[in-house]
Amino acid sequence: MSQQRTNTVLDQIIEGVREDLEARRAVVSLQQLQRTAKAQAPALDAESALRGEEPGSVQVLSEVKRSSPSKGALADIADPAALAASYEQGGASAISVLTEKRRFGGSLTDLDAVRQAVNVPVLRKDFTVDEYQIWEARAHGADMVLLIVAALDDETLRRFLDLTHELGMHALVETHTPEEIERAVAVGARIIGVNTRNLKTLEVDVHTFGRLADQIPTDAVIIAESGVAGEDQIKLYAGHGANAVLTGEVLVKSDDPARTISRFRDVGAAARADFLAGKKPPAAQAEFAAQQLAASADGAASPGSGEGSLKNAPGPYFGDFGGRWMPESLVAALDELTEVFDKARVDDEFQDEFKRLSRDYSGRPSLLTEAKRFGESIGARVFLKREDLNHTGSHKINNVLGQALLAQRMGKNRLIAETGAGQHGVATATAAALFGMECCIYMGEEDTRRQALNVARMRLLGAEVVPVSHGSATLKDAINEALRDWVASVDTTHYLLGTAAGPHPFPAMVRYFHEQIGEEAREQILEKAGRLPDAVTACVGGGSNAIGIFHGFLDDAEVELYGNEAGGDGVDTGRHAATITLGRPGVLHGAKTFLMQDTDGQTIESHSISAGLDYPAVGPEHSHLHAIGRVKYEAITDTQAMEAFKLLSRTEGIIPAIESSHALAGARDLAGRWVKDLGPEAAAEKIIVVSLSGRGDKDVATAAEWFDMLPEDSHEEQVGQKGEQL
Amino acid sequence: MSAPESVRPGVGGLAERILPKDLTRNPDSKLAARIAQCKAEGRPALVGYLPAGYPTVEESVEAAVALGQNGADIIEIGIPYSDPVMDGTVIQNATTQALANGVRVADAFTVVQAVSERTDAVPVVMTYWNPVLQTGVDEFSRRLREAGGAGMITPDLIPDEAGDWFEASQKYGLDRIFLVAPSTTRERMDMTVKASSGFVYAVSIMGVTGARDQVSSAAEDVVARAREAGAENVCVGLGVSNRGHVEEIGAYADGVIVGTALVRALGEGGPEAVGRLAAELSGRG
Repeated sequence: MSQQRTNTVLDQIIEGVREDLEARRAVVSLQQLQRTAKAQAPALDAESALRGEEPGSVQVLSEVKRSSPSKGALADIADPAALAASYEQGGASAISVLTEKRRFGGSLTDLDAVRQAVNVPVLRKDFTVDEYQIWEARAHGADMVLLIVAALDDETLRRFLDLTHELGMHALVETHTPEEIERAVAVGARIIGVNTRNLKTLEVDVHTFGRLADQIPTDAVIIAESGVAGEDQIKLYAGHGANAVLTGEVLVKSDDPARTISRFRDVGAAARADFLAGKKPPAAQAEFAAQQLAASADGAASPGSGEGSLKNAPGPYFGDFGGRWMPESLVAALDELTEVFDKARVDDEFQDEFKRLSRDYSGRPSLLTEAKRFGESIGARVFLKREDLNHTGSHKINNVLGQALLAQRMGKNRLIAETGAGQHGVATATAAALFGMECCIYMGEEDTRRQALNVARMRLLGAEVVPVSHGSATLKDAINEALRDWVASVDTTHYLLGTAAGPHPFPAMVRYFHEQIGEEAREQILEKAGRLPDAVTACVGGGSNAIGIFHGFLDDAEVELYGNEAGGDGVDTGRHAATITLGRPGVLHGAKTFLMQDTDGQTIESHSISAGLDYPAVGPEHSHLHAIGRVKYEAITDTQAMEAFKLLSRTEGIIPAIESSHALAGARDLAGRWVKDLGPEAAAEKIIVVSLSGRGDKDVATAAEWFDMLPEDSHEEQVGQKGEQL
Repeated sequence: MSAPESVRPGVGGLAERILPKDLTRNPDSKLAARIAQCKAEGRPALVGYLPAGYPTVEESVEAAVALGQNGADIIEIGIPYSDPVMDGTVIQNATTQALANGVRVADAFTVVQAVSERTDAVPVVMTYWNPVLQTGVDEFSRRLREAGGAGMITPDLIPDEAGDWFEASQKYGLDRIFLVAPSTTRERMDMTVKASSGFVYAVSIMGVTGARDQVSSAAEDVVARAREAGAENVCVGLGVSNRGHVEEIGAYADGVIVGTALVRALGEGGPEAVGRLAAELSGRG
């Protein structure tokens, strides 16, 4: 039996629910339901509807309810469809329809009527104890089902939730206690409700919500259920961080439900504004203070779980940055990608496949190597996060495998991508070969010359490489051309953007696939050094390896984070790619972020010896982390980077990518400052983790020319000079 | 004149979430008035696109004036931009050349003013968003109005990100022309139509700008869906190059947008060639 015995009113209700459902099953078989369900229009996105477009808004999940066990008959609802339509008109973000017959007087007929009448997501609210009911919900056009944690064991809860997601629906996962919240989170619930009604006594304690809400991760949609008599409770729930409030009684009894809902949304938004500003509702202040005291006694909260955490920022906005500044033609594809990604990240099968590929194909986890001789020569301890050891030679493969899996799920069989240094192009061509997909890589014409060997690698892997000669003929123009392709091919093609930039969901999604860099590094440094590092450095072009490694340490306030931008010939020469250091906010490639631009908003060409950092914008989350001061962004010149390139090669026997050499140079600068400020002994105790994002094989010609190591007029010198001409 | 009516009285869903509560359709829309006039004459409005500053600012002024004097009802003045992701090769090459010749955002207002003063056509600006953002949305709108512009077509700005533009367009009485595409969902169609004023720009194909031999049949479907969502005026763009296309599209759309063919004519034969093509397209030639 899947059901958990709780010896409460719930048990009695569920007995009746089971009897009724067996009676329906005798008439309509599961197979019949499955056919009907498959013929339905796809479910609407209840999660987004309940989260709301504006972070400061509060949604109303309005319920069509005829009676309840606690109150008896509530209202004589002659026309549930008309009632639901008035809810929608008032601004209800979703409609809940009770279908339980014995205690609530509901029916599937009510559900059908409401489904016909409204265009917002519909919740089939029943006591789900059998998969049959989930199929039944979908067959009747519902977009969401209710899963009550107290009524289900873990295995069943997970199974039901997975089926719900497979059918394209969402589940309102209802909890009453901290333990139930933990279980809901563990199975991957995206929409978590706190019911303030006690299951045993049927009494409501509205303060339950305030006690429990902060235990729900902020990336879930948080719903307050029960106890709404009027605006006071809406204020209380919204003031404690509810994204949405489920309410029925007060609406079915209202003369003007549309107006009531609209009013609830307004007072909710005002209270939520206080919540977002860090204020607490007065009624709960004493409790909150007591809680804080208890929490501080327990030691630090686990990272990423509390309010104020910088981790797992979901987009589309990171503070003032991000968004979707894109042609309408591509919005449907971005919506689809967002939806598929959101489902995949809570889908065990996807997670298992991604982890399997990362392990068995890329070679993860990547090593953390202490660079002792390099460290001694710069004056501090240095550990290298060895993304250069991944298959294809850089971190890029992490994101590529993740997105290729998503493309497969969307039924898209063609991958397109932009590339600068060629590392992302090679990684994408590799994944395309592995998955048997068609592949087209756009690369600036100048870059195809700088990175001729990588062009050959991509062609060997079966990809078409298209040189882009428009504009400055570098990475940004390759992105423009890939976007033009995508606008015309979006039905069959996935644009596998290679960095944590671009329109939502790319910045959050690309980061997600690279978070393993930071998670592994944090674990490894704790094991090897017994403590967190003093600093982490990473190179930043678009910023994907940097955001991946930073993510592991964002909530560790004592760890300084440094993003090293390409300073080119020097930030005062105008020939650089130091976007954050010298740019200002604008819109490029779908995101609001820091850009190199003139006063008219025309993008200025960037310059760097490293093709991979030669990009005049930066991922929007970096712009945000800069704006709030969590990460320091510093420019490293070509000369500094090449010195670090040589130093690592000579001291450690590791030839780094020129991109990664910027992070090594950043570490060298930092260690130099420590030696100066703290003295050499104290500095030697300090620890820096450097993201060694890629290996330098591809850069050998450029480096050999830089250091004048080639015989005159040799073929290699000519190749190297081409690299140097830029 | 009656008070402007809010475009979203109690609507639900995406429109409710995205559009400001007090958003109104432009009550004094010159674009809507011109399209109404064309309808009364039993013909579609002819909408022509030319980039400011191509090949030079002076010639772009003469070309736009020739366009207006030879039958264009509405003229879109494009602002050349360094990263034009929605444009095909012909327009990219033209705008790249204009930028190389030193065109500035302010030059677009010069061309708009010339169209407004020297022709009967209604001028609007078509621009990627960053140049507007960097000028300042309010400042850009004020100057556009001052030059006699009627509104703005925004190929990479969706209503979801258009908060500042909603405010400025209402303050200066400008029309907001958003794009809808074959891939636009019903909910987004509803929202975007409500967000727009003057006309709705229907992208006829999934692709970038460029003259095509055949105009996609998807256009008719996009127009029908825009009308279903409440659009009064729908103009169709992307791919139109000859009088046959104009007649074909004019049978179901309120206006027909021609860009690449005009830019090519300008490149090959100067402002006179633009005038000749405009006359042909409008049925005068």
